[in-house]
Amino acid sequence: MTRLSTRVSSLKLVNPLVLASGILGNDGLLLARAAKAGFGAVTTKSITVEPRKGYDTPIIAFVDSGLLNAVGLSNPGYKALPDILKGAREGGAPVIVSIAASTPDEFRMIASYAEEHGADAVELNLSCPHVKGHGLQIGQDPGYTYEIVKTVSSSVDIPVFIKVGVTDNLMETVSRSLDAGADAIVAINTLKAMAIDIYAKKPILSNKYGGLSGPAIHPVATRVVYEIYREYSPPIIGVGGVSKWVDAVEFMLAGASAVGIGTAVAFKGLSIAREILEGIEEYLDSEGFSSIEDIIGYVHRK
Amino acid sequence: MTIGMTSLRYVRGYIDEVITHGPGLKSLVINIDELPVTTPGQFIMLWIPGYEEIPLSPSYHANGVIRLTIRERGPTTRKIHNMDIGEPVFLRGPYGAGFDLSRRARYLLVGGGYGAAPIIFAGYVLHRKGFESMYIEGVKSREYALYTEEAGKLGMESILVTEDGSSGYKGLVTDYVEKYIDAYDIVLGCGPEPMLNRLIEICLEHGVECQVSMERYIKCGVGICGSCALEETGLLVCRDGPVFNARKLLGAGYEVGRG
Repeated sequence: MTRLSTRVSSLKLVNPLVLASGILGNDGLLLARAAKAGFGAVTTKSITVEPRKGYDTPIIAFVDSGLLNAVGLSNPGYKALPDILKGAREGGAPVIVSIAASTPDEFRMIASYAEEHGADAVELNLSCPHVKGHGLQIGQDPGYTYEIVKTVSSSVDIPVFIKVGVTDNLMETVSRSLDAGADAIVAINTLKAMAIDIYAKKPILSNKYGGLSGPAIHPVATRVVYEIYREYSPPIIGVGGVSKWVDAVEFMLAGASAVGIGTAVAFKGLSIAREILEGIEEYLDSEGFSSIEDIIGYVHRK
Repeated sequence: MTIGMTSLRYVRGYIDEVITHGPGLKSLVINIDELPVTTPGQFIMLWIPGYEEIPLSPSYHANGVIRLTIRERGPTTRKIHNMDIGEPVFLRGPYGAGFDLSRRARYLLVGGGYGAAPIIFAGYVLHRKGFESMYIEGVKSREYALYTEEAGKLGMESILVTEDGSSGYKGLVTDYVEKYIDAYDIVLGCGPEPMLNRLIEICLEHGVECQVSMERYIKCGVGICGSCALEETGLLVCRDGPVFNARKLLGAGYEVGRG
């Protein structure tokens, strides 16, 4: 163990930075490159049973302090997992396979296949805000969530993470997921949003709606991480608008054991990982902490 | 690499001229003051509201005027081909890495088909810098010819190669590259992948530096969606390219035999 190493359930990371799902797509060697650039773990783009082409362009729209995307879960389908995992594992960091599906059985099938081909953990995407029959449309139903998580966690040995979005019954979804055997919570996904170009006089995204990410959502994510930790203290990967080390430290103080980074990679490149890690180390020094273990959930201490 | 905040929002421009080159091939000249200036080989995203947005590497950009050369290949490009002078279009960018034209050297410019677009743009910049260059364009037949005349007007040696011999030299553009390459230090190439692969091979054989513009399906343009990953290399065309130094490309695992 070094001062930056952490654990998310049984998954050991050399540092707390996780490449969030959906960034850099599903090219194994690109994921490996992220690992070599300093990420402690990498997450694939969400994998579905069948290949998906995704939406027509424009699939992204920029707004103040963030961006909207409606990529539409484009991915080559689960049969490409052996290739993706083979490439991604060359990076030397744990690989988390994100799964988007519609039924417990589909989730189980992809999770088992991912495990068989070397995935270190699976992340169930119960929160994509812009694809019908997937993501949020499932994650908003805590009963169905329970069934999905139970099915997957009883069929694989690798850790099962649940990626949640911001919904009215979020805490119930988290609670039911943990009851069903989820090993960690990944919070939060993008927020459903819209951007209109006032000169084109049309929504920019071909899908009209997209998911908002970037600095704009960071305080929302911090609140959610804080609440989940306060109520259940499960292992948490905090995701949402982390673009500098301060944001990462904030998540950990709120209760995150690891920190996902996505949009900032698009804005600043992969070098952002080392930059953030350096900042975290300096913070540990200046505040007199010996390791990041000491700051996880710190704000909850009485 | 970071993306400048000015490159993120759409900028509205107006079509000032429509040039018909040949079957399914047109250029739009667009007045667009606020778009940051493009380096030859970089790309912009052109959005026609109600249709898709598409990546394009300009064939000219200076002083608030950008020229986009577009082949008709689907509903969006068909719409673009039917647009008229005065109509608005929306651009964001520029993105990616363009050609490195910083060194005083002798440049051999090689364009295949409408891949000639960023090549002629490079010709303009090299001309302005006063660097020696030669322009070779290869097309299927004479009606697809694009910029050999324009290159000639810039004062550089310029030849057209047609596959069917209907104009200029007959054959493949790469056959003529072999003939001229030893008089040059740097080759710039853009065109179909088999042509680029052959170009890389020729440059390696002759010990000449080679910069090629690669094409993959660019959807977001900024390195998020992963759509333009260059297989087996860990490289993204939209962020690491589109222009790659051939040595870097091969070093990353790109195989010229595959294309």
